[in-house]
Amino acid sequence: MSDPLDALEENIATLRRAIRDAATAGDSIRLDELRARLRRAERAWSALVDTDDPSTAPATAERMDPPSSAPVSRGAMLPAREHAHRALMLLQTPAAPKLIVNVHEAFFPGELSASKMSSLRRDEERSYRAAPGARPYYLCPALTYDLLSPARALVTISTWRLEQRIIGPLSPRVDFLTGAIRIAEAIRGSIDSPDTEASPTAWRLLWRFAVNIPGATSTKPAADVGTTDPNQVIDAARAELDVHADTDHATRAESARRARKQLSDVQQLFGASLRDVRHRQAEA
Amino acid sequence: MIATPDQRLDALRGPAPRMHHNARTLAALENNPRCMLRAVLDASGSDKAAIAAHTGYQAPFGQSSFALARGNVFETMVKANGCAELLRVLRETLQLTLPEVGYQDLNDVGGDGRAESRHARTTHLLTAAARGHGSDTLYDHPMLRLVVGGHPVFLEPDLVAFRVDDRFHVVEIKSFPIVDDQAAPAQVRAATTHACAYIIALRAMLAASGIGPESVSDTIVLIAPKDFTNRPTGAFVDARKQVATLTRQLERIQRIGDLVELLPEGLTFDLAADDTGRPQRPAQELAEALDQVPATYYPECLNHCEMAFYCRSRARADGSLDVLGSAVREQLGGVDTVTMALGLARGTLTPNDDQVEMAVALRHAARLRVELHNSPGAAGAAS
Ligand code: SF4
Repeated sequence: MSDPLDALEENIATLRRAIRDAATAGDSIRLDELRARLRRAERAWSALVDTDDPSTAPATAERMDPPSSAPVSRGAMLPAREHAHRALMLLQTPAAPKLIVNVHEAFFPGELSASKMSSLRRDEERSYRAAPGARPYYLCPALTYDLLSPARALVTISTWRLEQRIIGPLSPRVDFLTGAIRIAEAIRGSIDSPDTEASPTAWRLLWRFAVNIPGATSTKPAADVGTTDPNQVIDAARAELDVHADTDHATRAESARRARKQLSDVQQLFGASLRDVRHRQAEA
Repeated sequence: MIATPDQRLDALRGPAPRMHHNARTLAALENNPRCMLRAVLDASGSDKAAIAAHTGYQAPFGQSSFALARGNVFETMVKANGCAELLRVLRETLQLTLPEVGYQDLNDVGGDGRAESRHARTTHLLTAAARGHGSDTLYDHPMLRLVVGGHPVFLEPDLVAFRVDDRFHVVEIKSFPIVDDQAAPAQVRAATTHACAYIIALRAMLAASGIGPESVSDTIVLIAPKDFTNRPTGAFVDARKQVATLTRQLERIQRIGDLVELLPEGLTFDLAADDTGRPQRPAQELAEALDQVPATYYPECLNHCEMAFYCRSRARADGSLDVLGSAVREQLGGVDTVTMALGLARGTLTPNDDQVEMAVALRHAARLRVELHNSPGAAGAAS
């Protein structure tokens, strides 16, 4: 198989060997140059392997374009946590950092990277503990429905109701369908308004959601990114949502009740540690 | 005093900590059950990778961090956004119904990632599901446990899906492509061999609660990229035969004592590591120790066993036909080494009764080859 990844991997291996040789020979000028080339190759590799666009051609070229089409508004200068907040407000569901970055890229100007997201999450709890309530909102983890501990890699906003921030067994699917509806609505909104236009990235995001919802894409063979219909996505997502929504809501509401009774304010935001869980179980 | 098998196994390993069985060693067991060297190394908990490296034959796999990263990225993508891609594929292949989306994350238990805690929770949830309590379908990275030769092994499938005909299905997520509904057989086999161990472990876990083996399907669901895209597709792999083989081998593993008795007194694979963990034992001496135990090398070892490069070079040095693979080996039944085959073909060796027919065939082949070489039109082919 000779895909671009294989070629890059070979290239990286060759560069590493060359670096070793240059280091042995003490050739520092060549070493610097080789290191720079290695970094570039490694970046290209990560970009390629990271592209979760399910279509054949990796969309690296497009991603490297500066977001020049979007007017550089004040929004571009916002700190990362505000970017994340905006993306989450659009989705209205707990979301993984990667999805937050995708939504941000699709709808908002400015830069937000996955690595920024993870350092952000660490900062939030520290800042809350130092001065509770000093900020209008905090980015905090979703909570698991049974242990009320932080859910792995899902971010929420502190101002949401607990029900919205709890993850039951059906919630990942429910949140996915809800997210699809919200993204479709945002795109529909920009179609309706005369002075905005949904970006190609936004359309592609919608398409990626749509292909995994029964009945959300046209069955015509030529159906692809460009032919996704936001209204059809909304209808299809609602139809499946109807199947899960009641059960999911009941689980979340029950856990939220328990959380309000058993957890402190900080815990309600950032989750109970395992020690708290054990303690509660021992008491029960 | 006569040493017990366990004491002898400890002596074979030396003072280094015991290596436990894992999905890979179980796969090697299933693929080459008769190899005594592998059996003894695994049973003694010796570090095969370190031993192979010290003899100068580093294991043929486990080095490519690229492959690992690619696999992880693909698995993450398949499971992203509430397992959106995975659900689509499972709905297509397993005919999951719309309500079957319940997801349980078993990667940790409230932030506790220890195998024991995860195993306890896995057991709790899966047993309840098998009994009809609970309505969940996707169990992400459950932690299974299997006792092999008296020692527990923790095993972690990518995913277990439930309620397809009320049975559990092991799901393996792999980043090698399925092109035109076909994947490379060697890779499929490697993936399913691991999955067999999961099936057996899952059955053992449920059996402890009196639930029969039919609750776990023998069919593995393989999820892999479709053609050369990044989009996953699914395929069924029938693992009945492999599961049966491995089950049988696991039952036999207890008889390791009989094997160990055949080994010379005082044999050890101890690397004599110093404080920094660096092996101090002369490589030559280690190789001599390894050579005292018969190995049955064949090319598939390259996919499963850390010792493969070492054993291949040893088999080549012995002129063993095994290095040429099972097809050649079967065709040359009764002939054991390359030297013997060449001798029979050239007529320098007299065949015994079993070898008469084969010798005729070999001589015929040798004659044809000479004729081809000498015919004028074959200049290109002869180069
Ligand atoms: S590689 Fe060597 S030790 Fe491993 S199974 Fe094959 S023959 Fe046995």
